[in-house]
Amino acid sequence: MTSTLDQFGSQTTYAEAGLGAAKTLLLTNGMVAIGIAIFIFVMAITVFAWRFNGGGRSWWIVGGGIVFPLVTLLALTVVSATTLRAITNDAGPENPVIEVTGHQYWWDVVHDPNMRALRDANEVILPLDTPVTLRLRSNDVIHSFWVPSISGKMDMIPGRINELTVTATKKGRFRGQCAEFCGLSHPLMAFEVVVLPVDDYAAYLDSLESEARDAVTPQQRRGKEVFLTSGCTACHAVRGVSENGRLGPDLTRVGARASLGAGMWRMNLGNLAGWIADVGDMKPGAQMPSYNHLTGPDLRAVSTWLESLK
Amino acid sequence: MDGSDRHSHPWAVAVWAIVGLIVSAIVGVWALGVPGKDPVGAAVLTTQIAFRDTTDFLRFGPIDGQPDWEAASMILHDANAESGASLIELHGCGSCHTIPGIPRAHGSVGPSLASFRDQAYVAGVLPNRPGDLVEWLMNPTVHAPQTAMPDLGITEDEARDMVAYLYTLQAKP
Repeated sequence: MTSTLDQFGSQTTYAEAGLGAAKTLLLTNGMVAIGIAIFIFVMAITVFAWRFNGGGRSWWIVGGGIVFPLVTLLALTVVSATTLRAITNDAGPENPVIEVTGHQYWWDVVHDPNMRALRDANEVILPLDTPVTLRLRSNDVIHSFWVPSISGKMDMIPGRINELTVTATKKGRFRGQCAEFCGLSHPLMAFEVVVLPVDDYAAYLDSLESEARDAVTPQQRRGKEVFLTSGCTACHAVRGVSENGRLGPDLTRVGARASLGAGMWRMNLGNLAGWIADVGDMKPGAQMPSYNHLTGPDLRAVSTWLESLK
Repeated sequence: MDGSDRHSHPWAVAVWAIVGLIVSAIVGVWALGVPGKDPVGAAVLTTQIAFRDTTDFLRFGPIDGQPDWEAASMILHDANAESGASLIELHGCGSCHTIPGIPRAHGSVGPSLASFRDQAYVAGVLPNRPGDLVEWLMNPTVHAPQTAMPDLGITEDEARDMVAYLYTLQAKP
């Protein structure tokens, strides 16, 4: 229980759950096997050279020092390039498209950006066994999108759209991480990937069209009021409540996510209240100001309301 | 002899019935005093607490009969400080409090809990004793309505484990 990682299935290529990761794993294992074979071979001829101090050394230098490395490295290059191509190039025009935009230090996620433009944040939901085209963009500096269990990494570069096609082959929850140093809280910029069966993915997309859950209890209603009157709406959108904020993550289903602060803390009332009261302590360099001017009851109310948005 | 036994029998039943009623009444009143919306659950909980406190007393004797009664008064029998540490992390206490020994617990929203054992009051409203601290963790807003600390839905057993951990935090002597 030392990190939020234990609530995700994994963040390692060795627990592959996607075509890209499977191919990368095969390449890795192959390279390790060949490397071990070469190491044993080199040790063997070293022993041979010590024991039998004979002639014919120039042949060994040309063969073992130039030809063999050349052939081996060329072969490895071809195999790596083929794998990379296989990972990144199974894009099809019919693939579902998900646009992910890196911000300092969170992820904006838009499903089907051309047609329905369904917005969520910090959690990428993928359909099972379906090639999905990820359109990767950045809003400020260079980030890198990396979900080791599912595929290789791809940089997100300001002013560019990089495409990465991924196919998840196992249901579950996986952790992704920004893999390009992007500022003070780069290590605190993670995200969740949830792989759902195709039907559930369609239902999830439909849910992104509906408005946020109603505030029911008096405390939740008060929380909504605090949210609307304290300036939260300048940066955050909650569908059906206030939809103009685009500088921060969409909070329409913030309580439904398993984590808070882009994959870094467990989603619960305590962390949520602590986050609102002192963002700078939990995530140095984040754009959000600390809301430590709210009274205690108001802080609890707004946290309770946000936690209820599922 | 037989006659008197038979005569005393109804008396004993009556006495025990009255004692039972008094105990039930005490438990009932106590249960109503426990914050929450579930009087039956509260009565069960109260009975459990009474049972546990009684068995603790029978097992370990009165606190002021022990050599170091101050230390003894801070002991929560059968509470597990190690699981308390995990629970403290799970509930996200570190977002607001600095807590030694808990990963990433460096919050400055609320007070630091380092050397919490030495602190006299809990949040300035309750004496810092095991029972009161358990109450506080379960329902902070009942004891301090203006507090920023939310009710996290912590159960009594969880709170006991967490208190056991908090009482391991003390300034080096």
